[in-house]
Amino acid sequence: MKTFKALIIAVALAAANTATAQQDTVRPVLSAYTFEAGSAHLCDTYLTPLRYSGWNLGLGYERMQAMRFNPRRWVMRLDARADLSRSLNPAGNAEMWQIGLRPSWSMMWRTSLPHGFTIAAGGNVGADIGVLYLMRNSNNPASARASVTIGATGMAVWNGRIGRLPVTLRYQPTIPLTGVFFSPDYDELYYEIWLGNHKGLAHSAWPGNFFRLDNLLTADLRFGATTLRLGYRCEVFSTKTSGIVTRDITHSFVIGIATEWLSLRSGSSRTPDAAIISSLYQ
Amino acid sequence: MKRLLSILLGAIALAGCHSIDNWDNDAPGNFDALWEVLDSHYCFFQEKGIDWDSVYSVYRPMVTPQTNVTELYVICTAMLDELRDGHVNLTTPFATSYYKNWWSDYPQNYDSRLVEEHYLHFGGLTRGGITYAMLPDSIGYMRYGSFSYGVGETTLDWAFALLSPCKSLIIDIRDNGGGSLADVETFCRRFIKSRTLAGYITHKSGSGHGDFSDPYPYYYDPIDPMRIGWDKSVVILTNRSCFSAANNFVSFMSALPQVTLVGDRTGGGSGMPFSSEIPCGWAVRFSGSPIYDSVMHLTENGIEPDIHVDLDPEAALDGIDTMLEKAIEVAKENAVNS
Repeated sequence: MKTFKALIIAVALAAANTATAQQDTVRPVLSAYTFEAGSAHLCDTYLTPLRYSGWNLGLGYERMQAMRFNPRRWVMRLDARADLSRSLNPAGNAEMWQIGLRPSWSMMWRTSLPHGFTIAAGGNVGADIGVLYLMRNSNNPASARASVTIGATGMAVWNGRIGRLPVTLRYQPTIPLTGVFFSPDYDELYYEIWLGNHKGLAHSAWPGNFFRLDNLLTADLRFGATTLRLGYRCEVFSTKTSGIVTRDITHSFVIGIATEWLSLRSGSSRTPDAAIISSLYQ
Repeated sequence: MKRLLSILLGAIALAGCHSIDNWDNDAPGNFDALWEVLDSHYCFFQEKGIDWDSVYSVYRPMVTPQTNVTELYVICTAMLDELRDGHVNLTTPFATSYYKNWWSDYPQNYDSRLVEEHYLHFGGLTRGGITYAMLPDSIGYMRYGSFSYGVGETTLDWAFALLSPCKSLIIDIRDNGGGSLADVETFCRRFIKSRTLAGYITHKSGSGHGDFSDPYPYYYDPIDPMRIGWDKSVVILTNRSCFSAANNFVSFMSALPQVTLVGDRTGGGSGMPFSSEIPCGWAVRFSGSPIYDSVMHLTENGIEPDIHVDLDPEAALDGIDTMLEKAIEVAKENAVNS
């Protein structure tokens, strides 16, 4: 009973803190729209034993905001990307197309370090849907990709200046740790799946059979209210299940626009000395 | 925490170990790649009693780093011919290999001119790959030369409506080399009144020659009651060149009580083709998923007709198709008995 009372008191205090935080802070939303271009190196042994190489293009949207309940410590990140690849086999006489959509949501605990550094770590929920299409194949021309995963993410951030220009550098790795992903059996045709055989298509994921490491490096050059984002993304993706091995490696240059904005409810008022707590910038 | 970190690092190392076969892009490397692709994915080694390792030991010594592309092609196609499979092709920039003995070792048993000139009188109605006509004595004739053309439901409605005065129907699929299984289903649905077991499909579940999934039954549903089907007797006319999807069609239809098979054994081809490639860019196609009939018989080597008859070349000179004549005779008997 004592424990229960203590829990109620703790929740009440947390709520009071939250209320205080709501009154004294504003949490701008950081929105970034990016375009990515680079190289893709793809292999899916369901389609071919050969490695294909070509270009990769992507569009990304990222939204970050300090959390309402403890904005100085917690930050959320929504990330969504769509990408398209065209690649050729080593002989250059067959082409493979890949299209994918990858939304994810993360929540990270952060702490500030001296000299403008911040580090953060947290959890991530992500999904992936896409397809590889190898145009030369007859009954196995496509390999679908679908997954829902829970993983870890983190970021190391440096806020400083280069000359008089405010700059924010960030490294953000994300790795799924568990979840569920789709894969047909070794030589199972999608025709058989279409006939109704759905047995064994969902596989539990762990980094030994479903490995994705998304490395994002960004430099935000803050020109007043608008920020130019430059960056580099390296994504390594590899799965092995039912004797099928997939391996995608993409390297992309990132360029985009980021901005921080506030949404104000009509009639609401903020104290002039309300603290602005950014999710990324200082 | 240390333990968690070591598990995570171990998993990352494991992920990096997802090995993918790698071959040199020279003649020996490409030969080995082709042999290994078939070794891991081809589905009829056991049914055909093929010792693939022995095949390797016969053909591999013929390949050296000095072997040129045309020599390599000849050696590779000779090796692939050991599979005795019409679904196996090696596609290169200068040629596509094709195993022909499944039909070339037998009489062709079909002469389209003979039928067109002496039975259809260059008439009949043609639409969507189907030619149909009414023969004397109220026998319907339907020629379906390929399941690659596709046929619409409306076309089938018209065809069966116009043939409805007929007492029996002959479906001539001689020389039908296959096509889409979806078209087979579209056609077969016209001849059933309830959900019917069409067969079983299975697939390789691993690289071993005996690694297969459990057979999965698949069914055909009858057409919408508003559409027009056929419930009278049917004679299906076949030859050795009925292959792949056409073989599946015969496999399904032969299980129906109103159907009689007349002609020659079909060519088989009951493995759904799978595709792959080798480092020099040559594509290879091969049987990857066996399809069984409704009683779990494999029809890879063809289906025997109920009544065997060949085309008599001398009678053909007189304008007589002895196979079609037999089919007409059987159709008339079936019409009387039904």
